[in-house]
Amino acid sequence: MKAIWPLAVITFKEGIRNRAIYGIFLLALLLFAANFLICGMIMQEVGKVAVDIALSAVSFSGLLLVLFVGINLLAKDLDRRTIYMVLARPISRGQYIWGKFVGMTLLIFTAVASLGGCALLSIGSVRFAFPNYFPRFAWEPVLWALALIALMLVLLAALSFLFASFTTSSFVTLVLTVVSYFIGHGVSAIKALVEAPEAVGIEVSAATVRLVKAAYYMFPNLSLFDIKIQAAHNLEIPWTYLAGTIAYGLVYTIMIVFLAGLIFSRREFP
Amino acid sequence: MIEVDSISKIFKEGLRGKKVRALIDLSLTIRKGEVFGFLGPNGAGKSTTIKVLLNLIRPDTGQATILGSDVRDAKVRQKIGYLPENPYFYDYLSAEELLWFGGRASGVKKPLLKARIPQILERVGLLEARKRHLRTYSKGMVQRAGLALALVHDPEVVILDEPMSGLDPMGRKMVGDLILELKEQGKTVFFSSHILNDIERFSDRIGIVAEGRLRLSGNLAEVVPSGETLEDVFLRTIAAADVEVVL
Repeated sequence: MKAIWPLAVITFKEGIRNRAIYGIFLLALLLFAANFLICGMIMQEVGKVAVDIALSAVSFSGLLLVLFVGINLLAKDLDRRTIYMVLARPISRGQYIWGKFVGMTLLIFTAVASLGGCALLSIGSVRFAFPNYFPRFAWEPVLWALALIALMLVLLAALSFLFASFTTSSFVTLVLTVVSYFIGHGVSAIKALVEAPEAVGIEVSAATVRLVKAAYYMFPNLSLFDIKIQAAHNLEIPWTYLAGTIAYGLVYTIMIVFLAGLIFSRREFP
Repeated sequence: MIEVDSISKIFKEGLRGKKVRALIDLSLTIRKGEVFGFLGPNGAGKSTTIKVLLNLIRPDTGQATILGSDVRDAKVRQKIGYLPENPYFYDYLSAEELLWFGGRASGVKKPLLKARIPQILERVGLLEARKRHLRTYSKGMVQRAGLALALVHDPEVVILDEPMSGLDPMGRKMVGDLILELKEQGKTVFFSSHILNDIERFSDRIGIVAEGRLRLSGNLAEVVPSGETLEDVFLRTIAAADVEVVL
């Protein structure tokens, strides 16, 4: 930890001061402001729409943070050879990956806490303006939804670290991370569809089923972390679901970062 | 102190994996407390040798040790200070934060580091700019920050890859004085340079490398006969190695 912590601290500082983060926060603030305007215009299911828009804004801004700030934190080290000054210290390549990852995790938690605070303010202001549209509203599921968004982003950041550990280009890492995000969010529903195609009256080849199943087991199921609908409708979320999802996210993340560290420890930096 | 024992390294370049022999059976010994100047033309293998010592590159054959420990052991780097050629640092950190990282990652205790950071920044002439983000620094200032980072943990061995690069005459004098100070303190300094005059001024011993092989090594006084200059010796050595050189 002695070697990891100083690296985590400078990674966090480098990330939080990046100008791209101001753009991401500005976009999020616009979305929160738009939330109030949109809810004022539709005047239907305002409570659900307000929660959904606010949580989606946090999720989308967090995604941009991982893709455009997080990936750069590692990729720039390799592109610009700043990694020399880190690895010239008594820090192994595995510890380097963990240090960077801990810094990135701190950045994600800080960003989600700030964006989440704005999201809560946005929901609260809509609720204050239109109290009649919030008959079943509760804060607890919204807070759980924010926690799972943070965990999903940490898992996505771990995936980007894994890709960066074996690619030489930040663009390839970006593409692979985006692809993983979309597959991770959609593969669960696609698997259900191809396993019971008769339900929607379509035919699916055996090869497609095998491909989808392979993707299902290869990529993390990110849709598990999306409980925006439950939060918007204040549906009961079983604690077993929350505990299972958190455990899944943590174990998957640790395994991926560990694997990234193993792959990275074989790399050279000519 | 620094032992490089028969290291060879082949890089594969391009899609076809064309093999380039970067180091061929290179051996070196650098003794405790000496300043060793490492010179050679571009692409001779100077930086590759240095990167092997920092474990940034692993040799295909042979091994290197510093202070008796294999360079693959991360712990040995606690006692090594390194300045890369054309260093790049984090844009949004200040020099003070950079040195904090360098010190803490090398195990320097907080109170000692707190006292040491302003001292070393003053020594390299960056005390006033210590709070500014590194992206606002000129090339020479970045080089000075790199030197401060290499020395912040008071290492026993200092490895400098082209330390004069990008520095103005004042900066070059500062680096020269620093090397001599380190020598007085009994530190071992291994530095590479294109500038023969610098090598001549500061080195106790030198090594000339060309096309991945060590061509000449020894005490400066022995290597350069009276009536000749280091430039004469260098050009003759490189010509014997059949390497084209532009000075």
